Order: sequence, then structure tokens, then C-alpha cells
Amino acid sequence: MLIHVKGAHIVDPGNKRDAIGDLWIRDDQIVAPPHGAKADETVEAMGLVAMAGGIDIHSHVAGANVNTARLLLPEQHQAHTRRPAATPISNAGWSTFQTGCLYAEMGFTTVVEPAVAPHRALHAHLELADTPIIDKAILTILGNDDFVLGLIRSGESASVIRDHVAWTLQTTRGLGIKVINAGGVAAFKENMRGFSFDDMVPSYGVTSRQIVKALQKAVHETGAPHPLHVHCNNLGMPGNVETALTTIAAAEDLPLHLAHLQFYGYGKEGPQGFSSAAPRLAEAVNAAKNVTIDVGQVMFGQTVTISSDVLRQFMARGHARPKKYVIIDGDSNGGGIVPYEYRAGSFHNAVQFAVGLELFLLIDDPSRVFFTTDHPNGAPFTTYPEIFALLMDKDLRAQWVSRLPTEAAAVTTLPSLTREFTLYEIATMTRAAPARLLGLRDRGHLGVGARADVALYRPGKDIAEMFRAAARVYKDGDLVVRDGAVTHYRFGRALQVTPVVEASMQRRMTEYYDARYGLPSDFMRVPEEAVGRPQPFETVACTR
Amino acid sequence: MARIDQIGAEAAASIDGVPASLEDAAAAAAQLLARSGQPLIAGLGADIEGARAAIALAERVGGVIEHMHSAALMRDLDCLRETGVMLTTPGEARVRADVVLLLGDALLETWPALNDRLLGPPVRPDGVEVGRRIVWLASEADATVPGFRGDINVVAAGLGITLAANLAALRARVKGRPVARAEIPLPTLDALAAILKSARFGVAVWTAARLGALELEMLNGLVRDLNESTRFSTLPLAAPDNGAGVLATCGWMTGFPMRSGFGVGSPLHDPWRFDAERLIASGETDCALWISAFGAPSPAWRSVLNFIALCDRATQFAEEPNVRIVVGRPGVDHDGVVYSSDTGTLVAATASAPSAAPSVAQIIARIAAYLPDASAGAC
Repeated sequence: MLIHVKGAHIVDPGNKRDAIGDLWIRDDQIVAPPHGAKADETVEAMGLVAMAGGIDIHSHVAGANVNTARLLLPEQHQAHTRRPAATPISNAGWSTFQTGCLYAEMGFTTVVEPAVAPHRALHAHLELADTPIIDKAILTILGNDDFVLGLIRSGESASVIRDHVAWTLQTTRGLGIKVINAGGVAAFKENMRGFSFDDMVPSYGVTSRQIVKALQKAVHETGAPHPLHVHCNNLGMPGNVETALTTIAAAEDLPLHLAHLQFYGYGKEGPQGFSSAAPRLAEAVNAAKNVTIDVGQVMFGQTVTISSDVLRQFMARGHARPKKYVIIDGDSNGGGIVPYEYRAGSFHNAVQFAVGLELFLLIDDPSRVFFTTDHPNGAPFTTYPEIFALLMDKDLRAQWVSRLPTEAAAVTTLPSLTREFTLYEIATMTRAAPARLLGLRDRGHLGVGARADVALYRPGKDIAEMFRAAARVYKDGDLVVRDGAVTHYRFGRALQVTPVVEASMQRRMTEYYDARYGLPSDFMRVPEEAVGRPQPFETVACTR
Repeated sequence: MARIDQIGAEAAASIDGVPASLEDAAAAAAQLLARSGQPLIAGLGADIEGARAAIALAERVGGVIEHMHSAALMRDLDCLRETGVMLTTPGEARVRADVVLLLGDALLETWPALNDRLLGPPVRPDGVEVGRRIVWLASEADATVPGFRGDINVVAAGLGITLAANLAALRARVKGRPVARAEIPLPTLDALAAILKSARFGVAVWTAARLGALELEMLNGLVRDLNESTRFSTLPLAAPDNGAGVLATCGWMTGFPMRSGFGVGSPLHDPWRFDAERLIASGETDCALWISAFGAPSPAWRSVLNFIALCDRATQFAEEPNVRIVVGRPGVDHDGVVYSSDTGTLVAATASAPSAAPSVAQIIARIAAYLPDASAGAC
């Protein structure tokens, strides 16, 4: 099958292309214009914008915690609108099936579920296997588990920790490693109610700093493309900008990714002791070229916070709206699910909204700031189109700011920021840069040899509408979305890395699980045939 | 895992009690489901792959999804979704719990590994053995845990409304509030409250099969209160027949638990309306597909108009089903993913005695192939 996409505005930062041109798709790949070949299909794309399929590096779409949130909040998907069911179960609100459809309809083709405890990897992969169209991946959580804390406590060598990281990635089929409130979640099991970067985990005597640094180095040494993905301590607390700045400084020269930085952009200034510290944070990010961040933008409305930062979620339980929550003390991180409603009239929520946009607008290099809402923690991913519009249109932003409490706007710099993102910068942030961050060489760009994940958008006055309903989306060269609606299912793959694992680590894990838990160490394995789809996994090369 | 086209020829099936080929039985089952006004897919003792297939089938035929242990599952789930709960895993409870609070009975029957996994001394993260204090609010004063030789502080607390009242009194004393009248003597109550409050990491254990809504609500409230000052969590024992696994699968596929119906095109959850027992008793369903791959006994339904059963060879029925197809047991006859009470997660179980007996998913795929509009996309 040869498809000729003719006369589109091609926005492809991966190949420094921003011009009217053609794309040729042969089967599942972008190819060079073939000499003399006749296209099986010609798409007249004059007036459309062509981008590679979007890549979301941090969105809680699958796994045991997400599923608990579904079961906690039946009232929030009861009133889902039916639509003609061309595709099975896509009428089920908040199902994995709907998740895949909604992402595809926005032109996203790869999504990373960023928080899966090793014990629950199979569950997450089963849900991802039931998420149609998009490719996906998990980040596996380490850093609050007994084994890693024990390794650091006993001063084991860096190579042992590296081997354990490799074993975990291999066993759970992860694309990377995430650490969530390093040590803080373990400390909460010992009844600590707050935990900072240099605090010590009871019973282990190790600090958050030691854990982050050990894992950062270990991940780097496995050669996994994605650096350690860090959810810092003190999420959401006034004055926590210090925590983020300290963590950035501690990264030294190795790569590090900081997740949903908006939730750490808070000072203690102003009448309510809560203010934006985004300018300081953005300055630190601008200076630290080894650091990447994603934003975790807040949007107003009902949502549910789903986090493996059990300490933070427990402390936030009083803010649950509706008033119910689930707190899970898990084998490593567990989880906390706390429903929440962000209100435009709330001082705190308005500051949070502003901090996210400030970070987007004040960090110079769009290839180091990633577009997320930490779905669904800041807002559901379905709000992305509105956020693109806010970034690209300063007048629209001014309208939103005018509706915020004035005393909230006053403790931020948002009203003074006039930067407007271009389509090229949006594509950098959502395509080219995430592909590079995750080591996906055949994605995020439209050059020859790239995977034919292509989104065609119809630009108009309403930027949000453009991004909400792609005119056409191709996944692996297959036209899956037309005029903003999924036409049929196909099932993508979960991307994983497979770093070399020393046999001695396998033996050690077998002994550990047997002695401490009376379990075989293979209980967390994810056999290919268990997930119920043909060829469910794809390996991403390790680089080092 | 065997592929669908590798179903053994010896697969046993019958139509109206007469041996039939698998294909004839599947076709007959499909015809009954397609003709039905309100098909019920119940039992649902199946591995994840089987549950996925059953839910997809329910959408195709506009049916209801139920599980044989829904009543108990729903009691735990109602606490979760009404007020919220605190949970932990068997692994954390094993290594960390210095206080274990057992409630009600049938614990060992529900989780035979209870003694081995949870009642021995914990080894704390720092390697220090701190001992484990075990308190059992049992139905009777002379209750024992068979095979367990350690000390258990047994307090007779009754069951049902009596237990609920005793838990309420205990909760009040934990909060330091006066109790005017309690079945359990005040000194005993206060001693219990002191043990719970002094836990470093306590864990409450029960099976919802033996506790009512009131007791569970009070218990979860008690645990919430304890966390104001110390750490305490819960380990509700998982329902048999992969109940927790099926619940999870319903969650991600439909957004809802079992007791959901697809009659209007999109899933609708209604724990009363879609209760299998009620649907059968009221005659609202005219066709039931009973799935039981783990050897659970058949339901005592007598008035089902049309009855299809996927079960093991030995299952006895009050009335012979219209269509019966033998399926294998996940983890024995074939590989399968099931919820494990030992890990508190879904695990991939390897067949311990591989056989040609087909899986639930395989049989449902055969049935689905005979439905009208068989070209409709599967998921």
C-alpha cells in the first residue's frame, strides 16, 4: 500500500522541516518519493497540518491504581454519552478501549504509563494490551522497596544496583525506571508524615538523596535511553520549590527527568503563604542542560488524583472531593487515589494553573519541557487541546487570567508573559523531543524510515478544535481516525528495554523472594503469551 | 497457551444431555444467546482471558456480566466506593505487621496459606524480630485457628449486628469516647484498643463472605481512625474463583464492576438490577451462560429457560443444562492469568498438568463465531 499525502504543511522538527510538502507512506513506513510509482491512495492535504503521531511521556492510563480509581468513582462515568459503536466496548466510559480511542482522535500514537510497581507489571500490561490503536510503555517503580533500600543501606556496589535495575526492567518489561518520593513512601509505613530530600528512612538509614543518586547512576549505566524519571519529595507543599531546586542541583552532570514540575513550583510568599516560584525553577532548568521536565498542567474541573506517592496522597485525604479515598501500602510504592476538583475561584488552584503555564513559557528550550497534565492528576488528557490553545494564543490566556482571583494572579508572573508557542514548538514538545527522550528513533518525526504514525490536523480559528479532532490519523500506515473519529481498532505494542542481566542477580532475587516472602521470584514475570495479543512487545535499543 | 485452533478433539460437550460435537454445542449455545431478550453471563469463574472474552461476548449479545461471589465482593467494594478504604498487600503484611487483627470466621478456608504467610513472626526491614500480636474478634470464645501454635488473643465478638455493635464500641474507645453499654466488657475493650493503638503497622484481615455491610463499614472507619496517630491497614481476603481478577477486568474493560449490563448498548452498572439470583428468580433473564472453570458447585437454579454451562467434567446440576461444554482449569490444564492471594496481584500461572481441555476464552471464541454478524470486530 502506497499513500501519497499531498501538499500538507509539514511540521517536523525532528528533520527541521516546517514547509508545504508531500509525504509518502509505504505500508508502515515513511518513504522517499518513489520514482514513477503510482500511489494506491492520494490524500489531498492542502490546508492541513501534518505532524508525526504525538507521544505522551507521562499519563496514568493503566494499571492497578488507575483501575481502583475507576471502581472508586462509578458516578463519574455513569453519564457517558453513547456513540455509534463501530468498535467494541468503546462506549464504556473510562475503559482502556475508550482511552486508546480518545488519544488516537487527538493524533497521539504513543503513551507512557509512568508508574507501575514491579509486582503489578502484569496487570498494567494486560490493561495496555486492551488499549487499542496506540503504542504504549510502562515505567517501573523502584526506590521505596525493601530490596533497593537494603542494597543502599549495606553499601553494595554501583554495579549490583545497576544489575538490579536491569533485572527489574527485563522482568517487568519496562521502558524506564521511575522513583516516586524516594524513601518517603517507605518512611510513611513507619509513620513519618513528611519527608524531604535529606531525611532518613527509618530502619534503613538512607536518604532520598542517596536513593535518587544511586538509581540515576544505575539507570544511566544500563544504557536505557530514558534517564531516571523522578517524582520529587514534598509534592504540592508551599515552599517546595526548594526541594525541586535541591534535586536539580543533586543531578550534577548525569541526565535526570523531573516529572510534573508544576506541582513543585510553589513559594511561600503572599497573603496566603502560597505563591508561584516558577521563575526561579525555570531559571534552574534553563541552566541545567542535563535535566528534562514535564509540566503536569492543572486545568479546572473534576478529576481524580492517582499517585504512588502514598505519603502525599494520605496527607491530602482531607481535600478529597467527593469525600472518599483509597490508600494502598504496597510492596514497593502502592498507591493513593484521592478524587479532587480544581476550581477556578480557588486561590490555590488558580496559582497551580498559573505555575504550569509559567513553566511552559519561561523554559527556553521546548525540547526539554514536555507536555503533560500528569493525567489525570492535573487534569484529564482530554484537556490537551485547550492547553495547546492557551500556549499558542496570549489573548486567550489573558481572558483566562482575567477570570482568576486577582490576588492569585498577583503572586504569579503569568499576566506579564507574552510568549506564544508556534506549531513547530508544539511539535517539538509533543513529538521530536519525547521520541529522543525515550530513545524511539523511528517515531516523533516524519523522515524517511520513520514509522508511519502521522496526524493531519485542520487548522482554524479555534486551536483547541484543531487538536481535539484530527482530520486523519495513520498508525503504522493504517488510517485509524477520520474527521476526529476512530474507524476501527488495531492494537499497538508495549515498548520495553532489555538490558543485559547478570545471572548472579537472577539467583539473588530467587533467594531474596524465597527467604523474605516465601514466593518464587518469577511471580512478577510478564510472559508474552499471557497478555493475549499477537506480538504485544517491541524492544527499544539500549544505547550504551 | 493453546491456540483456539488447537482445541483437542476430545473436548466434551453435550446438548440436552446427549453427547455432541464441540462445534454443534457452540452453535447451539450461540443460537440460545442470540435469541435471548436478556442473556445473563454468570458464575464467571474464569482466568483473565476468559473474563475478557465473556465481557466482550456480553457486549455482543447485550447481556449482563455477573460473578458467583459478587455479593461478598460488592460488600467490600461498597466500602471502597462509599467512603474509601486503606489496603495493603500480603507481602507487606507478612514482613511488617506487628499487630494482626482477625475478624469473623472462615479465614483459613478462604486463604489456606494464612498461617504460613501471615501469622508467623515478622522480620522487620531492619532485620529485628519484633514479634506479632494476633487478636481475633471471633464469633465464639473457643474459636481456634487449626494448625497454628502461636498465641492468639481470642475475643468473642459475635457475628452480624452483634459484631457491628462491638466494633462500634471498640472504635469509640480507640477515639477515647465513652461507651454506655457494650457486649464486650469495658476492660477487654480498652485492652484491645490499646493493642491496636500501639501497633507500628497493624493489619486487619477478614473475608467479606462472612461479614455484613455494617461491620465492614465500622471496621474500615476504625482503621481510618487509627491512622490519625499510627499506621494500620487492611487485607480483605480475596473471593475465590478469581473474583478479584474478574473484578479488575470488568473495571478496565467497562469502567464498572460486575453486575453490569450491556442491554442499552453501553455498560450500565446496577448491583440490584443485575444480581444473577434476582434475574433468575424474577424470570427477567431467559438465558443463562454459567461459567465455572475452578470447580465451584453449580447454582441451584431450576427455573432457567435456557441454560448453557462451561464447567468441569464432574459438575452436577439440578437440571441438565441445555448445552454443556467441559473446560479446563487455569493453572492446571492450561496456562492462565489469575489473581493470587499470596501476592495480592495478577500472576501468570503455568499449567501444572497440561491437557487438551479447552479454556473458557477458547470456547467463548467458538460460540461467538456462530453468532449472527460474526464479522463484527472482536476485541
